Amino acid sequence: MRAMGPGSVSSLLKIAMDVVWVVLLIGIAVLGLAALAVLFVPIPEDLTVEIGSGSATLTRWLAFAALLMFAGYIAILGLVVGRVRRIFATLTAGDPFHPANVTRLRQIGIGLAALEGANLLIPILLLLAAPDADFNAGVNFDLTAWFSVLVVFVMAEVFREGARLRREAELTI
Amino acid sequence: MPIRVQLDRVLLERRMSLTELADRVGVTLANLSILKTGKARAIRFSTLDALCRELNCQPGDLVVFEPGPPDEDPGGPVEE
Repeated sequence: MRAMGPGSVSSLLKIAMDVVWVVLLIGIAVLGLAALAVLFVPIPEDLTVEIGSGSATLTRWLAFAALLMFAGYIAILGLVVGRVRRIFATLTAGDPFHPANVTRLRQIGIGLAALEGANLLIPILLLLAAPDADFNAGVNFDLTAWFSVLVVFVMAEVFREGARLRREAELTI
Repeated sequence: MPIRVQLDRVLLERRMSLTELADRVGVTLANLSILKTGKARAIRFSTLDALCRELNCQPGDLVVFEPGPPDEDPGGPVEE
C-alpha cells in the first residue's frame, strides 16, 4: 500500500484524524458546558470525592477550574490533531512539502510542548487546590516526550528546506 | 537578478508568439511565461537546447549577464 496519494495510508490516517478531531470538538463542547453548569447547579458544601487513598472536598470553584483546565487540555490536543489532519491532507494530495506544513509542524511542536507542560503543571495545581487528596503523582518529567517535541521542531526545519526546494523546482524551466 | 532573459526580444525578431514557441518546444505556456518575465530561478539544458533549436539562436542570445547585487536567497521566500 502506498504511503501518499489518494487511497494510501495517509488518506486512511487522515480519516482517522478527522474522527478523532470531531470527537475532541464534542469533548471540548461538553466540558465547556459542564463547567458552565457547575456554576449554576447547587453543590452540597460537604461533598467529597475519593481520589486514590485520600479525598478532597469538591467546591464549586474547584470543579469549575478542573473542568475548564481539562477543556483547555483537550483544546490543545484538538489543535495538534487538527494540524496533523491538515498535514495528512497534503500527503493525500501527494504534496508533502506544501509551504504551510512548516507552520503546521511548528504549531504541533508548540502544542505538544504545551501538553507536556500541562502534564507537569496540572498535578501540582491539583495538589495545591486539594492538599488532602492522594493524586499519586509527583512531577513526572517524560524525557521521551520532550525529545519528541524537539524532533518535531527539527522536522519543521526539514520541511522548510523541502518547501524551498519545491519552490526552486517549480521555478526551474 | 544579474541574469536577464531576453526571450521577448528574440521572439520579436523571429516574429513568433509565445504560444507558438510553447507548442514547438513542448514547454507549457505558463512555464515559458515565467521564463520570459524573469521569474524563473533556473533553466534546464534540455529547455535551452529546445529553445535555441526552435529560435535558431545561441544561449547567449537568450540570457545576458547584467552586473548587480545577487539574490539573497536563491530559492526565494517560502510562502507559509
